[in-house]
Amino acid sequence: MSIVDSMLAGLALVANFESFLALGAGVAIGVIGGAIPGLSATMAVALTLPFTFAMSPITGILLLLGVYKGGVFGGSIPAILIKTPGSPASSATVIDGYPMAENGQAGKALGMALWASCTADLISNLSLILFAGWLASFALSFGPPEFFALILFSLTIIAGVSGDSLLKGALSAMLGLMLATVGLDLVYGTNRFTFGNPNMMGGLNFIAVLIGLFAIPEIIAMVWNPKAHDGNTRSLGRNWVTFQDYRKCFRSIVRGSFIGVFLGSIPGIGAAPSAFLSYSEARRKSPNRENFGKGEIEGVAASEAGNNGVAGATLIPLLALGVPGDVITAIIMGAFMVHGLQPGPMMFVLNVDIIYGLFIGLIVSSVFLFAIGSIAIRGFKYVADIPRGVLLPAVLVLCIFGVYAVNNNLFDVGVMFAMGWVGFVMLRYEVPAAPFLIAFILGPLLEDNFRQAMLMSGSNPVILFRGPITWFFWALTTITVVAIARAGLRASRGSVLAGDPK
Amino acid sequence: MPRKTSVLTTAAIVGLAATAAFAEYPERPINMVIPYGAGGATDISARTIAEPLGDAVGQPLVMANVTGAGGATGSVAVQNAKADGYTMLFARVGSHSVNPAMKATLPYTLEDFRFVTVYEINPVACAVTPQSGIKSMDDLIAKVNEGGVTFSSSGVGSMPHIASVMVLREFGIENPLQAVTHIPQKGGGAAATAVLNGTATFFCTNSSAVASFVANEQLLPLLVTTAEPVEGFDAPTAADLGKPALHQLVGWTGIAGPDDLPDDVAAKWGEWMAAATRNEEFRSRMEARGSIIQLMSPEKASEFIETQYNTFRTLVDELGMRIEG
Repeated sequence: MSIVDSMLAGLALVANFESFLALGAGVAIGVIGGAIPGLSATMAVALTLPFTFAMSPITGILLLLGVYKGGVFGGSIPAILIKTPGSPASSATVIDGYPMAENGQAGKALGMALWASCTADLISNLSLILFAGWLASFALSFGPPEFFALILFSLTIIAGVSGDSLLKGALSAMLGLMLATVGLDLVYGTNRFTFGNPNMMGGLNFIAVLIGLFAIPEIIAMVWNPKAHDGNTRSLGRNWVTFQDYRKCFRSIVRGSFIGVFLGSIPGIGAAPSAFLSYSEARRKSPNRENFGKGEIEGVAASEAGNNGVAGATLIPLLALGVPGDVITAIIMGAFMVHGLQPGPMMFVLNVDIIYGLFIGLIVSSVFLFAIGSIAIRGFKYVADIPRGVLLPAVLVLCIFGVYAVNNNLFDVGVMFAMGWVGFVMLRYEVPAAPFLIAFILGPLLEDNFRQAMLMSGSNPVILFRGPITWFFWALTTITVVAIARAGLRASRGSVLAGDPK
Repeated sequence: MPRKTSVLTTAAIVGLAATAAFAEYPERPINMVIPYGAGGATDISARTIAEPLGDAVGQPLVMANVTGAGGATGSVAVQNAKADGYTMLFARVGSHSVNPAMKATLPYTLEDFRFVTVYEINPVACAVTPQSGIKSMDDLIAKVNEGGVTFSSSGVGSMPHIASVMVLREFGIENPLQAVTHIPQKGGGAAATAVLNGTATFFCTNSSAVASFVANEQLLPLLVTTAEPVEGFDAPTAADLGKPALHQLVGWTGIAGPDDLPDDVAAKWGEWMAAATRNEEFRSRMEARGSIIQLMSPEKASEFIETQYNTFRTLVDELGMRIEG
């Protein structure tokens, strides 16, 4: 069958009311699910899965893909409005999105998040369609040593999100790395720092740590000093994102999208590191670097492009190799299996109509995301107008509910509050929270891949330099670390010259 | 008036006591704990049976994923629950025979649970990549004797971990822990990827987890542990290879409650499961995923799990694989 024939066969499958309805409904469910803190895109997809059993394969899978896409974008809504990332992927959006909302630019931030998301989504889907085979073989060349080098490089992001003091950023990252060691040891299976508590055996719940670190400190600060925000309401203004803003951020969006596509095509990394990497790259390249972290629209654009760029690309390992790239694609793979479809290279031969049907559906999903996202923003942005005295208690209730719902475990709620106090102390001493989170996500990946590489080589470290991919990331890491060190030296020399006692 | 009220109250109490003691279980929704994450083998199995099972029970089943620590977190939640039949667990081979056999520090033992059924059996298959040049178990064993062979699993104390060790031992490798290197991964998908990209030489896991790779000719099956051949797997069975001891090595999903679960509740579950597993749609969905539907009565299920546990426990003790920390 030629490509045109395949396309037509796919179109025949998709071009019906039912498929579009499923896709639209999916995006809507996803946006709302993603916007509820703690529910997250993963949970929304998992909850939708049973409903797809009775549908035809393509309709069911399109519904799930819609939920997935909607959920990744939806997570940015609470991240911007109430400093609570709806899903881990949108934690980078908090860094600039929330300050923008504080400055009365909530509408603008949300609008940019949507535009960046849709652009990245489209680029990601096109990459899937055009380069799936190539990217899949690239992904398969990632063994533990390559992973280790990549993650090591990603840890340099910490410098980009540390704000004014690299030392405080490093301190925050160390805390994150330490807490990430709680749980089962990967290689020996022994308990680490669990203090005999079975609840700790699985490690600290990620969502609980995330919400505890970002949302709870705001609430504690409010209780601490209820009058601090009296008088300055966060008016929305009439401001909406303009095409000029979009053009200004376009380079960052495209860069973020491709970072997302690459990281998304490698199984096991996920959207959060991609968003952070895209953010720190945008900051590095931007002329108004100083404004990042204080409400820079380009920061929002870059993080949202980074996490949505992943959403299409995670389907590459799924469709081309049959390997789910993350939890969400693992659930979607379940839907394939229930319908007797086996994702993998043979699917491109046996079920080519379904593959092309999915491709067409994915392209359409970007349009749906834009339309439904616009409506959702119009509804949600008024949250910014609610007085803090009313908003924050409601947020607290949502957080508790959300964290409990992730795992149906009250212990996680305790973790959230404990992390809330840690976050509050960090907030007071101006220790940035983002490095903590990056270290908490990347630390276990770094450790596991290092130890797997050592098992492979019989503890010979030469394996960490085994091929071009590792060399590439080692070189990047070296360059970045040298650049950071030089910038640090220059800054301290500058302050010495200026007669600063420090 | 007071007298009348008290009479009514007494009547109500007697009535309630009667309902509690007799046939009225279940009178409210039942919490079903899935100790593994959404989208995994246990989760999909649980949610597939939930539909016909809910019809048989006549009350809603509230499905909750309580994940973490290889199924231990969710299992503990049910272990500590009231034994009234309103909190039940989807138990799995990993959480209830491999883990108790391997982990000394596990907060529960098999005695802490009462099994009401095992309804699903998953054959185990061992697979390699076609590029590895290994075509049969004999080839693999020859390679192992040369040295440098590695295997992946979904984690320490998971079923694939013990499966590879057990298979190698059955095929004459005296101490598999010395002869091959175990490279644990986080989760079943990662374990398969490790074999696909050459990080590990082989792995043994649920046939359903490798079915799509086999169909796509990305992986080559060397062996299935059942006595009957598995559809889609062009590989000898353990019986063909003269290793009947490997028939013990299968995955399963069952339902359990706390250890002091009343007999009548267990009996009820036996009836419900019989009705639920007769459902055609359920059977075809499960079979499409490579599962074998095999319903066991409460007694049969306990015996089956006990036997498997003892097999694993013996192996673990002989090889010194028990995790004490």
